[in-house]
Parts: sequence; structure tokens; C-alpha cells
Amino acid sequence: MTRPSPFSVRGRRALVVMREEREISIVRRQLNRLGMTVAEHDPAEVPPPDENVDVIVMDADSIPIKSDPARAWKVHAPIIALIGTETPSRLKWLLDLQPASFLIKPLRSAGLYTALVVAFDSAQRRIEEAAHLERLEDRIRSRRMVLAAVLQTMRAHDLSEPDAFRLIRQTAMRHRTTVEQLSAEIITTGGMPNRTTRTA
Amino acid sequence: MMAGEMRKSALMAIDEINGSDEFDFTFAAHLRDPGGVVAAYHTACDDLIREEQVDHIVGCYTSASRKQVIPIVERTERLLWHPARYEGFESSDNVIYVGAAPNHNVVPLVRHMLDQIASDVFCIGSNYVWTWETNRVVREIVTSAGGRILAERLLELGETAVDHIVSEIIERKPPAVFNTLVGESSYSFIRALHEATMRAGLAIPMLSCSLCEPELDLIGSVASVGCVASSAYFESIEGPANRAFVARWKARHGADSNPCVDGLSTYVCVMLLARAIRRAGSAEVGAVRRAAANHRYDSPQGPVWVDPDNNHCFLTPRLARSVPGCQFKIFWEADAPERPDPYLSNLDLTAVGTRLERSNDAMTKRSNHLRIVK
Repeated sequence: MTRPSPFSVRGRRALVVMREEREISIVRRQLNRLGMTVAEHDPAEVPPPDENVDVIVMDADSIPIKSDPARAWKVHAPIIALIGTETPSRLKWLLDLQPASFLIKPLRSAGLYTALVVAFDSAQRRIEEAAHLERLEDRIRSRRMVLAAVLQTMRAHDLSEPDAFRLIRQTAMRHRTTVEQLSAEIITTGGMPNRTTRTA
Repeated sequence: MMAGEMRKSALMAIDEINGSDEFDFTFAAHLRDPGGVVAAYHTACDDLIREEQVDHIVGCYTSASRKQVIPIVERTERLLWHPARYEGFESSDNVIYVGAAPNHNVVPLVRHMLDQIASDVFCIGSNYVWTWETNRVVREIVTSAGGRILAERLLELGETAVDHIVSEIIERKPPAVFNTLVGESSYSFIRALHEATMRAGLAIPMLSCSLCEPELDLIGSVASVGCVASSAYFESIEGPANRAFVARWKARHGADSNPCVDGLSTYVCVMLLARAIRRAGSAEVGAVRRAAANHRYDSPQGPVWVDPDNNHCFLTPRLARSVPGCQFKIFWEADAPERPDPYLSNLDLTAVGTRLERSNDAMTKRSNHLRIVK
């Protein structure tokens, strides 16, 4: 899968969650210039489902931090936070949303493109990191299985622990599979699988 | 109400300057009333600057309105003289912050609470930035001192249905209530809490860092007694400057009228501005800002001057208890004007936090919470 470029923003969909018309018009005009589609959402309302949104431009000051809408903003689309009030209580709320980037008010036409690029890039990195993390967690989960397979191999072939592991690893490489998968096979079949088909 | 008090005070200061030999210029006031409509502040200031060629703007009570004005004064290089206390975390080159920063009002009040009243507190406030931030500071100081926030209840601005919260307080009997409600919400709450505590035979101290004399009158002469308030100004401040100010105020606005901190602060804004212009020999913004820096003014609230590091003012924190007659009796004031700390970057939580352990007096207070149960 090729990595989508964060620099190409044309055609991406933005949801604008802002209160003040003067600021909305700055954002709308700039997003239109960049070829993005723009939808608006009333900050007083609870957040909409976000499957049709690529980025959310949110005026942090427009949402009371202790309110139902404030608690409901747990979305997957990256958020660009527009910040007017730099109080820690406000920033704490914002941090919980994990904004992908931010802009300081008052808004100008400059800056929004950078915020978008940073948001798309960090959202992409977040997806990749999450996938990486999941792979690592899978491996941690299968450590018990690998350990069980090593013990079984030690007993079956009368090997030391390093030798048993080396055998499993070499077999896994030969079979073009992972140590974890081979370990699962060893446990279910009760021994080293006797594969003849080599994919190499 | 505050907007009216602030306007009255600004006009009083302008008349005094215009009638005084000490100043070789006069002020012409251009009044605009955005009426608390947030978006209207932008329009009003734009109009003042473009049409009236105004260099200096005095006003804004809420942070929301100030945030509307800041972009314009920054873009056009004007000065906003801001009289109201606020939650801090701002420092514009184009604003002179004359109201209290959180280290002037919130910190001394919480410290007093921890030292003298209790370390556990029930917080109630209006659902907006000032409460959020004040409560955060209260929470930080209280928890670092080993106390607890028993509850944090919020009411929408203007909400006067307070009975459910008063019932909760009567039921839970917190040793202290920290009130950051504003306007009618606060008056309704204080009245209802007074009545409920009287009925239940309870004495629950209530603390506020916004309550002022005209509000005591609005709450009512009985229910308003006994509140602990933190402010840089009370009408009861001793000393010739304030006595003379109060006399002039009453001569102008009537014997029944009382000045309040936000009004006085607006008066101080205009006076600081006039003195800076006189010192600079010009009303040009850059020159005035430089001239205002560190230029001490012996105001009715004591010496005040602008700290050029952050454009906020040195002010004297004070604590008082409301007494019959809609007045405050001051029971503590700082030895000297305190440096403004809008980012609370000099707040030493460990010093506040260990206070309870160190002070024998507070230890005794604390042990009062412990009862032997058999």
C-alpha cells in the first residue's frame, strides 16, 4: 500500500466545527482554494459520525469543556484545534482529544495548509504506529505459545533451549512463516510439522 | 450590572482628569455598548479605531469579549486597558491588564481556606472559562496540600435554579464551599444556601473571588453576610486616597451607591492612561506603553503600577468578610503590592502544600475533622 501524501489535500473532506462566522469564512475560503470539500457542524450539537470526514477543524473555545458535546468528541478523524484561550483547563480538554495539529487565533489565510499537512501526516503516522503496535502485541501474546513449542521441541528432540529455539527459527524460515505461527502448529500437531512443500 | 459600574467609573475618572490642573490635556470619551454580545465587541472596536481614530480603549469585562478585541488592537497597534480580573494565561503587548491576575485573588483565598477553614472543599461555578480555570487552580493547590475537591458543580451562565445543588450541600455538609458563580446565578445560590443552612442549623463558610459591594445589596442584606471574598479592592480600604475616592463617588452617584472593584479598576485604567500620556508627552501607543511601565500611581486601592514584563499590574491582594450593611470587613492584606503572575509560573505548590503540616494552628484545625467513633 502506498502511503498517501500529506501534501495533496485536494478532494479531502473537512468538517468545520466553529462558531464565529468571520473565522468560518476565512477557513472556508482557504479550504476551497485547496480543493477540499467543506461541511459545517454546530459546536453546540453532539458530534456527527465521522466516516465521511478526513479532517476536523475545531474552534476549541466554541465547546464548553464540561458539557455533553465536549465529552462526546472522541473521533478517528484528525483534529486541527483552533486555540484562543491558552488556559491549562482548556488545553487539558484539548489534549484528551489528541489534536493532530493546531492554529492560534486570530486566523489568517496563512497557516491552515501547514496545519492540514501536519494533521494528515500525523494521522497517517498514527495509523502506522497503531498497526506496528498491534503486531508487537501479537508477538507478546504468542510468547507463551513459543515458549510451549520450545519446551516441546526440547523434550521431543532432546535439545537444549537455545538449540530448540534455533531449530524452530530455522524451520520457520525454511517454511517462510513466522516463529509464532510455527509454534502454534507445533502445539496443535504435537510436533515439528513435516512439510515437504517449500515455497522457495 | 458590571458594564454600568465600569462606564460610570470611567466617566468619573475622565471628568476628574479634564477638571484637573495636573494634566495639560483633556480626554474625549467615545462610548460604545456592545451589550455583552460577544461578536459586537469586534465591530464596536473596529468602529472606534477606524471612525473615531481612537488610540486607547478602556473596557471589556469578559474574556470572550477581550479575545474579540485583541486581534484588532494588535493589528492596528492600539492599547486596550482591561479593568476586569480574569483567569490569566494571556499577555498581549497591546493590552494593559489592570484587573487581578489569579495570583492576586485565587491563590490567597485558597491559601486562607487551607490555613484557617478546611482542606476539603465543594466547588460550584458558572460553566465558562473563568470557573474552569479557577477550579483547576483550586484543585491543584488543594490536592497538593492533601485536601480533596468534594464536588465540582457547574451551572450555565444566568441559570438561577440552584436548589438541587443547595440540597446536595446541606446533605453532604462540606467544610467549605468555593463559589465561582457569576451574576444572578451567584445571588440566587447565596440566598438559597443562606436560607438552607439557617434552617438546617449549619455554618458552612462560602468563599468567592468575585463578590463585590453592589452585589451584596442585590443578594439582600441578611443573606449576603458572612461570605469570605478575595479582591484587590474593597470600599472599606482605609487611607485618605480611598476615603476621598468614596466621598467623590457618593457625591457623584448618590449616598446609597457603592463603588466596586471592577468600577474602581476601570477608574484606575483611565488614571494610569492619563499619567502615562502626561509622562510620555504624547498619546502615541508605543510611548504611552513605555511611560506606563513601572510608573507608580497611588490609587484608592493602594499603589498600582504596570509590570512591563507582562503588561499586568502590581496589585495588593486582600481578603475580607461581608458584614451587615452590604460592606466588607478586611481581615488580611498583603504587605506590599504583589507582582502579577498571569501564568502562575511562580506558584510554589510545595510551599502551599506543606503549609498544613508545618502550621500548628492548621494542624489543630485539621484534627477537628477527626472524631473518635466507638
